[in-house]
Amino acid sequence: MAATASQGGRSGGGGGSSGAGGGPSCGTSSSRSGLLDKGREVFISIPVISLAMKKCNQGWKIDDKPVKIDKWDGSAVKNSLDDSAKKVLLEKYKYVENFGLIDGRLTICTISCFFAIVALIWDYMHPFPESKPVLALCVISYPFFFNEKSIFLVAHRKDPTGMDPDDIWQLSSSLKRFDDKYTLKLTFISGRTKQQREAEFTKSIAKFFDHSGTLVMDAYEPEISRLHDSLATERKIK
Amino acid sequence: MVRAGAVGTHLPTSSLDIFGDLRKMNKRQLYYQVLNFAMIVSSALMIWKGLIVLTGSESPIVVVLSGSMEPAFHRGDLLFLTNFREDPIRAGEIVVFKVEGRDIPIVHRVIKVHEKDNGDIKFLTKGDNNEIDDRGLYKEGQNWLEKKDVVGRARGFLPYVGMVTIIMNDYPKFKYALLAVMGAYVLLKRES
Repeated sequence: MAATASQGGRSGGGGGSSGAGGGPSCGTSSSRSGLLDKGREVFISIPVISLAMKKCNQGWKIDDKPVKIDKWDGSAVKNSLDDSAKKVLLEKYKYVENFGLIDGRLTICTISCFFAIVALIWDYMHPFPESKPVLALCVISYPFFFNEKSIFLVAHRKDPTGMDPDDIWQLSSSLKRFDDKYTLKLTFISGRTKQQREAEFTKSIAKFFDHSGTLVMDAYEPEISRLHDSLATERKIK
Repeated sequence: MVRAGAVGTHLPTSSLDIFGDLRKMNKRQLYYQVLNFAMIVSSALMIWKGLIVLTGSESPIVVVLSGSMEPAFHRGDLLFLTNFREDPIRAGEIVVFKVEGRDIPIVHRVIKVHEKDNGDIKFLTKGDNNEIDDRGLYKEGQNWLEKKDVVGRARGFLPYVGMVTIIMNDYPKFKYALLAVMGAYVLLKRES
């Protein structure tokens, strides 16, 4: 059944990255309305249309294999929630991930390890009392390289007209140790006005995982979309 | 329609999948795992070097290996040392010193001190639980120790804690196994 629906929708534009051909065809279903005019085609197209409408009502679906983790492992829970939120933003809304922040963090940590190695080698070459100043320098500067912020996604949306700078979306989250309340914060920075707006929600992780530890996207994805839409629509009103 | 993902569903849920986290990672996340491991090692190293700078001693924490200082210190006690140049060495103090030619430091008590006007000293040590002084342990022809042989003076101690180090030195396989398990845990498990 799914195969026939996607055949009908093929004219509406490419099936996107996900292969099952769901989301993008919803926006272009109007181009298939020409099929309804012919009597012969009405007979064939009713099941096609009803299926397409069902797909549209379902909206875009994440179609990877459902993620199953150990529900008692706090960091695995947070990681899977973060990953899914990232997936929603990148795949549903087609934003482009900006690796600048992450690359910056990786570089800083690498530099701090480098300092440690320098200290080690210097101390080996010039035994202790002479290496004191160099050691002191490395040890004191080492903690300054730590910078733990909770932002895990920076994505931007290319402006379709190509004129204005890109809007930036940032995701950050927190889940305290042994706590079940997960907070997800979405920040929108307009490229044009440089204004910043935030929306967040705090919910128990029990709302998103079933008893076996599988993340239920049907419960999680609407939350993300709600956050996103609340920020996006404000922009339109302004 | 057979999807590649279908293969995963055949794995029993109770199997130990230690590479599961790694498989789902992209290049950056893999690098972060390695970096995380390196950061932990670097942090431990920096703390140790920091202690060295702070105390002025090349080995600020040592473990008592023999019973020659009983009843003050027993085998397996952890000792905290400092080695400030301004601190004088007086008879009755417990010092950790290195004899030339031996790489294991010895912790004994100072029993005799000769001091010159300019601050140079010569001192003799003996373990509390030993019958005779340490001249038999010194280098051939050496009868006194000098400031340069001192690793540090004992400032504080923790009983029993050092037994872990002794066990790990006696059974190196245990030490390597422990380090391997800890290293694998950090490398394979995904942190936030």
